[in-house]
Amino acid sequence: MMRREAGWYALLLPAFLLLSVFYVTPILQVLAISFLEPSPGFSNYERIGTNLSVQRVIITTLRICSITTVLALLLGYALSYTITLASERARRWWLLCVLVPLWISVLVRAFAWVTLLRRQGLINQTLQGAGVISEPLELVWNEFGIIVGMVHYMVPYAVLPMLASMREIEPRLLAAARGMGASRGQVFARVFLPLSMPGVVAAGVLVFIFSLGFYITPAILGGGKTLMVAEWISLQILDLIRWGLGTMMATLLVVTILVTLAVFSRVVNMRRLFGGA
Amino acid sequence: MAQSFQQDCVELLGRRLAQGEISRRAWLAGLAALGAPAGLAQAQAGRPLVMVNWGGLANDGFGRFYGAPFTAANPGLAVTQDSTGPSAGRIRSMVESGRVTWDLCDSSASSAYLLGGMNLLTKMDYGIIDRTKVIGPGFALEYGAAPYSFSSVLAYDSSKFPTAPTSWADFWDLRRFPGQRLLRRDALGTLDAAMMSLGRAPDQVYPIDTRAALRRVAEIRRNTVFWSSGSESEQFLRTGEAVMGQIWHTRATVLNRESNGRIKFIWNQGLLQAGIFVIPRGNPGGANAQRLLGAMLANAEAQVGLLGLLGNGPTNPAAAAQVPAELKANNPTDPANERQQVVLNGQWWGANYQQANQDYLDTITG
Repeated sequence: MMRREAGWYALLLPAFLLLSVFYVTPILQVLAISFLEPSPGFSNYERIGTNLSVQRVIITTLRICSITTVLALLLGYALSYTITLASERARRWWLLCVLVPLWISVLVRAFAWVTLLRRQGLINQTLQGAGVISEPLELVWNEFGIIVGMVHYMVPYAVLPMLASMREIEPRLLAAARGMGASRGQVFARVFLPLSMPGVVAAGVLVFIFSLGFYITPAILGGGKTLMVAEWISLQILDLIRWGLGTMMATLLVVTILVTLAVFSRVVNMRRLFGGA
Repeated sequence: MAQSFQQDCVELLGRRLAQGEISRRAWLAGLAALGAPAGLAQAQAGRPLVMVNWGGLANDGFGRFYGAPFTAANPGLAVTQDSTGPSAGRIRSMVESGRVTWDLCDSSASSAYLLGGMNLLTKMDYGIIDRTKVIGPGFALEYGAAPYSFSSVLAYDSSKFPTAPTSWADFWDLRRFPGQRLLRRDALGTLDAAMMSLGRAPDQVYPIDTRAALRRVAEIRRNTVFWSSGSESEQFLRTGEAVMGQIWHTRATVLNRESNGRIKFIWNQGLLQAGIFVIPRGNPGGANAQRLLGAMLANAEAQVGLLGLLGNGPTNPAAAAQVPAELKANNPTDPANERQQVVLNGQWWGANYQQANQDYLDTITG
């Protein structure tokens, strides 16, 4: 028995070696710069506590990602709930509508939002034409615009894990609760919601981690006034040539993602999150 | 990463070709303009020189018109193109890895000082490159030389203002000139304008008082959007998201033509900059890269061709006189225009860019 398992692991060895030599090692080399430059030690990491610029980009990123996650979960939950309760035929259409945005380039979507949200964009012109507002609303080139773009991108990622989890809920449990005198609201709050929570947590982790590394959407919709970590790192590496600081932030990002995954893997089934059985 | 000026020129040129404003021949001639070498010494046969551009059409055009004539004049010496985009960070990465494959990179004055100071560049050999072939000392540096020039100018939508703005002081005056502003998301050129808006005389902009300049930027931050690529800057003004901005003169020229003069720009207090090429330390082609760059500086006629096509200013002192009358208004190095501008001090920026730009980013994202 042991021998047979060892055989299976041996099959993994080439892929493991390939990844560790050509992927993990260079990444570790890059991350090591954060301890070596400008002088060996932890000076770059001390800046997390002392440097306002570093703190600001971290706080901005966490704030935008948290808001995005909450909004994507709310919208995603409503969608998943509707899809779960829909008929088989309607469900297929719903799923298609959720998945189609996934196939559209993030760049195209960001520019589409610009056309809608800018001062002379569709929304402002419509509202001004209808006499609702006299001055255009500032819908883009700020955090609001970024969050709109990111939530739009993230909703499908929120829907899929939650939908999987909701479809596993035994419909007879809901019927039983109704039969025993619970109102619709009670059935939802005391039976459906608790049973769907694993999906909600999984979706939340996925959306949050994904949001942390966002680059294009904030770059286009932020009007240059909001920096999230990905763009900040790129500026440090390519333009400012402060590699120690840039790689410190990259390390921090990787560590944050790993810690988040480690914590939540105790709560939810990560295999399901990443598409496993 | 912010888009560089060169990257933007290539894009602009490509669009004009695509819109049928220029012929393919004119396009190729323009790309050639920077670098048709003349009277080169016989070069020894060897591996090809690698010129690094910012992608797009430059890759084809530079290959055919930088590379081919050079090879014609120097049998056995080919020039290949690489469109990676030679940002300062990439040049550093390559030189420090010890395996340099680039010979000549389209860069900037501040990067030339910054990278040169880090011992990552080859010094210009002014025995090979003739430094009298440029209009000013800022165009032939210790670690780079400029075959073209460009300027960061004040552009505005004339339909929005009864009186025209004439200076950076007007740019900062939101009461007399209300409306959204547009600045580059890069301190270079921006802080210089802020200093002038505070009343610094154009010949006394440097050294920049960074704190005062940043405070000045903070004043209008909420009424400003920030661009990082040239096409973005154009789009902000075209769609009315901003009514006044500091943008590259090539983009301002396009907007002016396209809007039939509604969007105007002024040369006064514009920041004239050198389009500096650099040679990474330990470049494989050795001195041949210097010869190629020297030829690019020496060819005034070709530089005028590039001006006609894209708007890049010539840097050869003989070029201005050869510029056709209808192009003079858009030539940053035309004597009448040059007089009004301030030459950006690459040396000050080389020494202060890292800190000043970080502080600038912190200010506008604060």
